[in-house]
Amino acid sequence: MTAVTLQPARRRRKIKIGRHVRVALGVLACAIFLFPILWMVVTSFKDQRDIFTSPPVLFFTPTIEHYVTYLQRPDIQRRLINTVIVAIGSGVLSIIAGSMAGYALARIRLRGAGAIGALILLSRGVPPIALAVPMFLVARSLGITDQHITLILAYCTFLIPYVMWLMRGFFLALPKELEESAMLDGCSRFGAFFKIIVPISLPGIMSTLIFSMILAWEELLFALVLTNRNASTIPVAIQGIAGDTINGANWAALTAVGTITVLPVAVFALLVQKWLIQGLADGATKG
Amino acid sequence: MTTELAIGARAARPRRSGWLADFASRWTFMLPATVILMAVLAYPIFYTIEISFSRFDLATFSAVEWVGWENYRHVLEDYRFWESMKVTLVYLVFALPLQIVLGFGIAFLINAEWRARGLVRALFIIPMVVAPVVAGGVWRMLLDPLWGMMNYVLGLVGIGPLDWFGDPNLAMAAIVIIDTWRWTPFVVLIATAALLALPKDVFEAAEIDGAGWWSTLWHVALPLLVPIIAATFIIRWLGAVKMFDIALAATYGGPGGATNVVNLFIYEEAFRSLRFAESAAMAVVVLVITMVLTAIFLRGSRKLEELY
Repeated sequence: MTAVTLQPARRRRKIKIGRHVRVALGVLACAIFLFPILWMVVTSFKDQRDIFTSPPVLFFTPTIEHYVTYLQRPDIQRRLINTVIVAIGSGVLSIIAGSMAGYALARIRLRGAGAIGALILLSRGVPPIALAVPMFLVARSLGITDQHITLILAYCTFLIPYVMWLMRGFFLALPKELEESAMLDGCSRFGAFFKIIVPISLPGIMSTLIFSMILAWEELLFALVLTNRNASTIPVAIQGIAGDTINGANWAALTAVGTITVLPVAVFALLVQKWLIQGLADGATKG
Repeated sequence: MTTELAIGARAARPRRSGWLADFASRWTFMLPATVILMAVLAYPIFYTIEISFSRFDLATFSAVEWVGWENYRHVLEDYRFWESMKVTLVYLVFALPLQIVLGFGIAFLINAEWRARGLVRALFIIPMVVAPVVAGGVWRMLLDPLWGMMNYVLGLVGIGPLDWFGDPNLAMAAIVIIDTWRWTPFVVLIATAALLALPKDVFEAAEIDGAGWWSTLWHVALPLLVPIIAATFIIRWLGAVKMFDIALAATYGGPGGATNVVNLFIYEEAFRSLRFAESAAMAVVVLVITMVLTAIFLRGSRKLEELY
């Protein structure tokens, strides 16, 4: 109301000040959200004495002692390798199966495809705990508990629907003429898909793949239920460290292993942030 | 060379088998996903339902005899189950609206035209990609009553020290804070994308009409955003009803079950107490409730879209 009566120049200045306030608040919000990560990384370089001080010490001699200790532990090494194997395996498997199905839902007229699509959307609401019990029993009777493939397949339960729905959105956005002309030129449907559609959707496929691998990287429930030693993943180790209430939590281990877990994912996510944000936005608005 | 062969083969093929091949190739795209999802999603659900109606024999580790609704009766009479449902409800009621409001609010703030906008948006990704167990553990450290950073800062303004994990209400607050910390950035990113996609001329018209920042937000942007807000709510709802790892890493359901969300309770019943039949019945109850509520929300969001 007052804005109307202001002189144009003053009004512009008022808007400008308002903008500065907004930007400052935005930066503050971002800083608050990043603080816990920063604190974790900083703590991981403190020695045991500096960790347990109040008020917290801000200046200290950094040490890489915790990293050396925990990276040398065979169980941590084993679990890091397992996590990489399972994340790549389930990411790749679900991106292949999921994009093909997403393409079918977007482009090919199939009787019953609409119903399948609805079922898959619904399946995103299935609580994993409802699957974990029978999966454990089946894996046990088949003798495949504690193996990578079991975990990879288990992760497909939430990754394939995710990929399928996201990729369906990407494919819907492509012009139909692309594969139609390729098929007129004698390409088979598969040929058109793999030679034309896949290459031009590569940014979408990459962002979906990376986000799928992140989801697999941090999954806890299935890993806890289906593995114990051989195929156990890093979230299981961290949950053990964090939940160790009897001895008091081991903050050195928590922050060092936590940083090791977060670092590759954060770097990865920042490198492809443009695609990732686009993928997330599409997933939300089209899913 | 292969393409040439394919052309030749297609030309020589009689029409009927061409149709068949086409039909097969169409369905082949659905095949891998369908087969895997049948094996790892559909079959376990049916198996859960079967176990929930059976007596589970721990010696053979299998469902042995049909007992009808008995497991369900046990579950519905178990006050601990209802407690965990209540805990889940409280968590959802606080966490979901908080994340949506904060997320869209921050998106409005960082949406101004300025140079580092891209960088800030990129940095907002980080909390989201932090594994929930790491988040739970790190916040456990930050909220520690003796050495935690949070209590130190609160102490500077004369509050505390607060025993975050010893007090039932504070423990729930801690869970909500951790979850909100982790998921608000997700809402921020969605909201930012949605804001950028809004038609610019509407805002220019509002500015010419002399509408202030607040009334533009309230009367112009918000109504346009309703479908996105509804969609974001549904996505967050689907994620939040499954919450398990943060509670496990931060509070382990405590103190005294104050943060024992239903997923954690079912997990404990199945894999600690080895009550597979009852936990299967609980899982089915949760599954049905989730599905019904999701269907209602989906319907509601469509209604909302029609409204505007």
